[in-house]
Order: sequence, then structure tokens, then C-alpha cells
Amino acid sequence: MRKSLAFAGTAVTVLGLLATGCSGGGDSADSGKTTLKVAALEGGYGRDMYAQVIKAYEATHPDVDVQLQISKSIEDEITPNMKAGKYPDVVVLGQGRKAALTETLVKDKAVEDLTPVLKTKVPGEDKTVGDKLTEGIVGNLNTNPYGTDKTYLMPMYYAPTGLFYNQGLFEKNGWKTPATWDEMFALGDKAKKAGIPLFTYPTAGYLDSYFFALLADVGGEQFYTDVMTYKKDVWKSANAKKALDITTKLLGYAAPTTVGYANEQDFTKNQQSILDNKALFMPNGTWITGEMADAPRADGFTWGLTPLPAVTAGAKRYLTTSVESVWVPSAAQHKDAAKDFVAYLYSDEAAKIFAKSNAIQPIQGIADSLTGESASFYKLYEDPSVSALVGGFASTSPVEGVDIKATLFDTANSIISGDTTEAKWQSALNEASEKLRQAGN
Amino acid sequence: MLACLLPALVLFAVFMVYPTVNVFRMSLYTWSGFSPDMKFVGLDNFRHLVDDDQFVRAFQNTVTLLVVVTVVTMGMGLFLAAIMTRQKLRSRNFLRFVLYIPNVLSVVVIAAVFSAIYDQNNGLLNSMLRLVSLDSWQQVWLGDQKVVLYSVGIAMVWQSLGYYMVLYMSSMSSIPEELYEASGLDGASASRQFFSLTMPLIWQNLRTSLTFFIMSAVNLSFVLVRAMTGGGPDSSSEVLLSYMYKQAYTNSSYGYGMAIGVVIFAFSFLVSLLMSRATKREPLQF
Repeated sequence: MRKSLAFAGTAVTVLGLLATGCSGGGDSADSGKTTLKVAALEGGYGRDMYAQVIKAYEATHPDVDVQLQISKSIEDEITPNMKAGKYPDVVVLGQGRKAALTETLVKDKAVEDLTPVLKTKVPGEDKTVGDKLTEGIVGNLNTNPYGTDKTYLMPMYYAPTGLFYNQGLFEKNGWKTPATWDEMFALGDKAKKAGIPLFTYPTAGYLDSYFFALLADVGGEQFYTDVMTYKKDVWKSANAKKALDITTKLLGYAAPTTVGYANEQDFTKNQQSILDNKALFMPNGTWITGEMADAPRADGFTWGLTPLPAVTAGAKRYLTTSVESVWVPSAAQHKDAAKDFVAYLYSDEAAKIFAKSNAIQPIQGIADSLTGESASFYKLYEDPSVSALVGGFASTSPVEGVDIKATLFDTANSIISGDTTEAKWQSALNEASEKLRQAGN
Repeated sequence: MLACLLPALVLFAVFMVYPTVNVFRMSLYTWSGFSPDMKFVGLDNFRHLVDDDQFVRAFQNTVTLLVVVTVVTMGMGLFLAAIMTRQKLRSRNFLRFVLYIPNVLSVVVIAAVFSAIYDQNNGLLNSMLRLVSLDSWQQVWLGDQKVVLYSVGIAMVWQSLGYYMVLYMSSMSSIPEELYEASGLDGASASRQFFSLTMPLIWQNLRTSLTFFIMSAVNLSFVLVRAMTGGGPDSSSEVLLSYMYKQAYTNSSYGYGMAIGVVIFAFSFLVSLLMSRATKREPLQF
């Protein structure tokens, strides 16, 4: 009996060790070096640029050993360790991912305040990080998710998003990109006669690059902020109704294949319809050129990007700007080293390496070094009638069963298929917004 | 005796009992899954569930899938097994192989296969319907909210059918041939033999497989929905497990997700119990 108990005890101990991981830890305290754990999403820019930046950082910081963990599903890899209390020191991962790790930690107030980094001198340079950043890129709900003056998510790469189209098709037909919604719908009627639907989207989630700009176009930046911060009854307002009216009308022009392909498996077929001249516009980001680089295309196809049309002629137009983030978990072991590393990411040396992989950082003047398609996309910011719009819904405490982004974007599928009405959409949005407003921070 | 069982009991307790109890415990808290801030809210999460339209829809979808897929898979599995066992088909082994293949395929592969089949423009299904002049039957199989759930259901049936067919074939093959010969001499038709002889004699096997199938169907529906539709369009193909995943891991409502987990646990347990009670018969032996 005793033997059996001893055996059982040993078995449990061994299993316990296996379950918790038998490695000796990995902190290089013995060697006097700080081990900085960096976790990064392997996005469309690849992984080599991180290896090069880390190599360059280690060359000037011999007391730091940077361990990189990079993956296309980095959330799945770091989450189990984080739940066990082992946090990376630096995370390069934006919002809007399916697993919503960044959003979850923001909601939990488990992200380190990086405001001091803005005032830190970039290692090896005279300027501070704040001085180098493009104007307006920090201080919005994307970087300051609690609506305060504190920055928690540092902007890492930025890309304009808007309506993508085939420039070649427009030139061939003598069409101009519409500057107002009236022109947009007139073009829709014209294109319809040519057998081309006006609009499609890869999945409804891509409507973020459409909706945020539209809200600002319709009601200005204050109205946009009101919507993003869940102002009471904001979705009952005339501006909100106008935005939904325009969207409902636009969805009436959607390609018939849109909803059927608007899923994880088939979304590239909707993107392909732009390349095949089977739809005129789709909301997307500059990564689309790389994503569809090998896809077949119509003769004379050239990617074009335009901001959303304005509601009234000559009014300001907004370009929703996708910003990926770098942040430091509050529970990170080496916060100071992490902040120094984050500051280094904005150095000229690092920026040059990132830019080689088309990962464009919001550093003043960096877009000037671009060529080709990328250059034309980033040039849109130079148009005085176009403004960059950064941000998204403000973070609140989680509300069970409420996902306002899903309510705003996914309902487009039901509007197209006729399974719901604009009035029900507006009412659902108001209800979700109100619940989040009450949840507060 | 107890000493021999102890290691297994310890493992069972550590890897089965403790996590299950933990799900019940966590369902009484609001928690994001990361922070140390856990707030005890009693049964609040369950109260929210009642008012959550998305949850109700996911529940309805799960029940619909379970009923439709179970009836079709079990019915077709039994029918095909009976034909393959009783009829001397020359291509029996080949058919068995072909029908069993989907069972060993990864669900992601199955999702990709059905995505190609269901393609609204060039998919096999719509192309075949066009070929036989049934154009009006063509559908946007993964985009029509009234159809998408059944499209997922068909993929589930295709994945499971072969396994259950083979399972029933093995049971049916063990029924002595003399019983069929005797009933044949008494004038019993093939269908009469099936309902009066085959079914009663494999009844225990059928009961067990039914419970097993319902449990696995709950899991399979989650994986296929995630891979094929992501719960869309507009949550029309959301099932309980995919909704639980979204709430626990995407909406930062881990406690709420666990409350959905408890409902799934209770629901599965109840369905199994009901199935067991409803199918209870005096076992027949040969």
C-alpha cells in the first residue's frame, strides 16, 4: 500500500513538473545580463526585420539579451504563460485581432503607462520619441484608450485605409473617383449599367476603415469622438441616422457575392472581385497589395486608394488610419529595459530596417522615402482636404454579450440580405452603446 | 484494489474533476481571464444569459444542428450499414472505404472542401444544379441566413457518417445468419427483418453510439463553424461553443463564457440522460 502511494505521489510530481514546464527559467541573472522577452505578431511584414532590429539593439546594449518570440498567432502562444504569471516584457500586437488580447489587457488596466517613453531620448539620438512621432498619432483613443492624456499603446506602424479600386478601369472608362456621396451613387448607377457593382467588402469586419471615416465625415471629429465614447443616445442623433442612411444605400449597391464570401475561408474571393473588375470599391488597408500580390488581375490593373466621399462638396474627408501598437504589460519583469527598447524602436536605425519590409512607422519624414504604390497611398495625407483619423471605440469594463463592433459591422450582412432593417440596426447600436456607456471605465 | 486505482483516480481528479469544478466556480465571477481582479457575482452571469438574444440564438442553432445532424447521420448510417451488410454488393469494401475517409480528414480540410463545394459561382453544388436545370434551387450556401446552418450540418453529416456506418456494420455482421434465414423462411421482408431483427439486436450499440455522437456533434459543430463561417453571416450560424469562445476570449468576459460552459455541460448531460431513458429496452441477445 505504502509503495503504491509513493508511486502515485511520484507520478503526480512528475506530471506536475511536465505540466508546469521543467525548464530552469531562462533569466540570465547569473551572466549579469537582462533578458528582455519580446513577443511580436508575424504580420504581412515578415519576421526578418525584427531579428535585424534586435541584433542592432544588442550591439549597442551588451548588457541586454533580447529573446524574440514571433508567430502569426502570437496571442495563442503567449496567453497560457501569461495566465501562469509569465509575461513578456514587450508586445508588438495591435487591436482588432480576433483573440483581442490587447483589448482584454486594456480593459483589465494591465498595460503599463508609456507616457514617459514619449519624453525619453531615443537611444543613440538627440531627439525624444515624442519629437520624432508624426503629429496627431498619439493622444487618440488608439494610443490613450481610457480617453486621458496617458499613452498606454505606442503607435508602431501606420497605414492608411480607405476605398481601394482599380485605377486602370477608371481610366479606361473615363470615371473619376467620387468626391461626394451623390457622385458616388451616380457612379454606382453608371457602373451598374456596365454590369459592375459599386461596392463589396472582404468581411464585414473590414468596414471599420469605412465606418470610422464616415462618422467623422458626417458629423465632424467631435461627433466621431462622441460615438467612440458612447455618448448617451448618440445613435439616436440625426448624424448617426445620416451615416446609417448612407451605408444602407451603399449596401444596396453591394456585389451579390459579397455576403456569401464574407467569411474567414472565402474573403479573398471578395477581394479578387476588385482585381477582376467585378466590383468597383472595397474598404481595405495598404497591406492588400502584398496580400493579393500573386492573384490574377484584369489587364491594366493598378491599385488605387481614395478616402471616403464627403457628405457635402468641399468638406473635409477622413482617412481611417490603421495603427499597430507596441506595449508593455504591467506585470512585465523588466519594465525599464522594456521602455528603453520601445524607445529604440523609433530610432532612425530601426525605422530604416522596418521600412525595408514596408512596415512604415509614424515617424516624421519617413513616408518621403517610399516609392511605387506605397508612396501614392501615403501621399494622400498631403492632400489638405484629407485628415488622418486614428482611434476606435473607447475601452470600458467588459459587458457580457455586448460587442458594439460586431453590432456595427456584422449587421451589414443582414442589411444586404434583407434579414434586418436600418431601424433595427440603429436601435441595436443604441442599446449596445448605452450598455457600454453605463459600464464606464 | 484501491491502491491500484489510485494513480488513475489522481489523474482523473487533476485533469477532469478539478477543471470541471473550476468551470462551475468561475461561472460565478466576472473576470477577464488575466487580471487578479475577480468579482464574485453569484448567479448574475446566468441571469444575463436569459436576456442575451445572441446566446438564445446560439442555443437554438445548437439544438437544430443536433436534432437534424443526429437524425440524418444515425438514420443514413443504419440504412447504409444494413444495405452493405445484408446485400452482397460487389463494391462494398470500396464504398466503406470512401465513406470512412472523411472521418480521418482534418476539420480544416473538410471546411476547405465544403467551401469549394458551396461556392456560389463555381461551386460543385450550384454547378450540378445548373447542369440538371434546377437553377432555381441554387443558393448562396454560406451567405443565406436561412440556409447556412444546414450547410454546416451537411458537412457534419459527411464527416461523421462513415464512422457510424462502420460501427453499425460491425455490430450487424455479428448477428448470426441463421436468424435471417429463419425469418426469411417465415416470409419476413428485408425491411421487416431490419426493424424486427437487426435493430433490436444492435440496440445496445445504437444507444451507446447515440450518446457518443451527441457529445461529439457539440464539439464538431464548434470547429466547423469556426473554420467555415466564423458564426456568420451576422451570427446566424453561431453555436453554443463558438459563442462561449467569443465571450470568454474575445469579449473579455471569461466568467460569462464559463457560465455558457456550465449550460453546455448541463445541456449535454440532460440530453444524454434523456436519450438513455428514452432508448432503454430489455437487451436482446443471440
